[in-house]
Amino acid sequence: MALEALHGITRYHSKNEMLRDEMMIPDMENLSNQCQLAIPSIPKGEVNVGEYLVDETGRKIKLNYAHGTTTLGFKFDGGVIMAVDSRATSGQYIGSGNVKKIIEINPYLLGTMAGGAADCTYWERVLAKQCRIYELRNRERISVAAASKLLANMVYQYKGYGLSMGVMIAGWDKKGPGLYYVDNDGNRMPGNAFSVGSGSIYAYGVLDSGYSKDLSDAEAQELGRRAIYHATHRDAYSGGIVRVYHIKEDGWIKISEEDCKDLHYKYADEKSAFS
Amino acid sequence: MSHLQSIMVQKSDDDKMHQLSSNLIMAVSGEAGDTTQFAEYIAKNIQLYKMRNGYELTPSAAVHFTRHTLATHLRSREPYFVNLLMGGFDPDSNTSELYYMDYLAASVPVKYYAFGYGGMFTLAVMDKDYRPNMNVDEAYELLKKCANEIKRRFIINLPKFRVRVISKDGIKELPYVVAEGEAA
Amino acid sequence: MATEVMEVGDYMRDPRKHHFSPYMDNGGTTVAIAGDDFVMVASDLRLSRGFNIFSREQSKIFGLTPKTMLASTGCWADVLTLNKVLQARLTMYSHEHHDVMSTTAVAQLLSTMLYWRRFFPYYVSNILVGLDEEGKGVVYHYDPVGHMEKLTYSAAGASVSQIQPLLDNQIDALNMKNVTPPKMTKELAHQLIHDAFISAAERDINTGDGVIIHTITKEGTSEEKIKLRRD
Repeated sequence: MALEALHGITRYHSKNEMLRDEMMIPDMENLSNQCQLAIPSIPKGEVNVGEYLVDETGRKIKLNYAHGTTTLGFKFDGGVIMAVDSRATSGQYIGSGNVKKIIEINPYLLGTMAGGAADCTYWERVLAKQCRIYELRNRERISVAAASKLLANMVYQYKGYGLSMGVMIAGWDKKGPGLYYVDNDGNRMPGNAFSVGSGSIYAYGVLDSGYSKDLSDAEAQELGRRAIYHATHRDAYSGGIVRVYHIKEDGWIKISEEDCKDLHYKYADEKSAFS
Repeated sequence: MSHLQSIMVQKSDDDKMHQLSSNLIMAVSGEAGDTTQFAEYIAKNIQLYKMRNGYELTPSAAVHFTRHTLATHLRSREPYFVNLLMGGFDPDSNTSELYYMDYLAASVPVKYYAFGYGGMFTLAVMDKDYRPNMNVDEAYELLKKCANEIKRRFIINLPKFRVRVISKDGIKELPYVVAEGEAA
Repeated sequence: MATEVMEVGDYMRDPRKHHFSPYMDNGGTTVAIAGDDFVMVASDLRLSRGFNIFSREQSKIFGLTPKTMLASTGCWADVLTLNKVLQARLTMYSHEHHDVMSTTAVAQLLSTMLYWRRFFPYYVSNILVGLDEEGKGVVYHYDPVGHMEKLTYSAAGASVSQIQPLLDNQIDALNMKNVTPPKMTKELAHQLIHDAFISAAERDINTGDGVIIHTITKEGTSEEKIKLRRD
């Protein structure tokens, strides 16, 4: 990316084609064109890179893909709320409890992360670059619709190769608040409320029952927080920190980052105070 | 109008129809991603044709173009998995046309059709009650019957259907068909 | 035998699927701990495949620049290739810019390199350590396809599930009531790494024989080898 310009790697190569061959340094095309990844020389159906690789004896080698998540986003009169957990798992092992699953694309756009952590961070980083280039070329910010479509088209190119991502792209543009769901199948759809990840079924339960367009800012933020908290409670693949962001007309703001352990006791105390 | 992801309703106001021109619509089902990518590719090319030539493709010409595109991709490394229905009105010959096309690029002119599981329930309903000389209200009532049958017998919840009518006046949106009734 | 097969004819037999897997798990464990003005990185010295021990003196740590090091475990063949390519890129960079790449830049380069091979990954768990622009110790942890996380300490490889919880408890005092996390010093880091490897060697067949500890400070680097169980 910008790093490549810093390295001057492509210039180095074009000046010195012979030298490169002698040195036998494999090309890394994604340093200059991020959408170009190495395609293995076996048919794509046999590219067996899901949760595991298979070693010489046929044993499964676990890849530390960061998987398992609860993320949610919804539009309301006050903008867009995005809330996520922070747990990354590879199989039963918690690879990290502190992942930032809301990716700050620019001051007006946020992306969430569910599925392969590397897939989401890589492609949303590429998207961030594309959005910045759009701004410089057109002297105005990219719309949420256009940004989400750039992402959808990029990952659609690799459909069937085993990318794993279910993301929401949210922001504020000329049309007001925007929220899109994009995934590795090539789906891209606008909507008022989405939840993605293994814990989404639980988050939907809370979100659907508390959702309305005319929530106050504080109510909406609390609804997102609560939905994620309940998902971390029921879904073993979700947990850690509950992060809540709010997108308003003048960009996103980080509302809170709380350990779901602390939320648990807070909500338990509130419940016992009532009964 | 429902978009389903495994067991979950992800979206309840999805539009599976793509407008190709002022009197031509394509309804798509099949592999996620392929459906929109293919439909948008066809739509943009049909619009491009109009810009280049100053007149639109007739519905049957558009269908042949679509079929050719789908058939060409079928023999490539990455075929589109898309089933579609194309409905249009040809103002020159003053006829309405409906075409069936499956992912193998088999194209058939039909009077009515339904893809997917819904087709299993509703084709018989349409076989029984369809008449070539129906008016819009009668056609709407028939669609309602189909939706009700799906509600009654299909395990998956598909409550709402988007309805558009294509005529010499162009494309008009009718009220959603909301399914009613339950199995005996 | 060959003629027999010919007589039967290939078409008479059921189709057979031939498997080829270019991956192998060669064990090995790495640990890194960063402090305010130093970073310490260690690996065990055992190279193995299942219950076969290939080597008792193979360090898994590679010096990249005077203030950056990489610790890699997993498929040893991929470890070697990855390091070769990364070293080459760093050399090209230093020739072009007459300067060494910063640790943060190396960190991003490694992530992009790993993702380049997204559909046929290097089977390698990486920990990149170094001093950042302010001279502070930093640790970056990677998954095999380039997801990167900046941390202050991390374990990777065969014994990660035994060592990481120990470090969580001893360094960050996670989930402990009325305990303040200690200030990280070279002495504490050294002690923790030593203890971690002794425990891992006790319970994991793919970790043992010895441990090599590298320390990076602004004054330079130093290394030390300590013996572990060799059974």
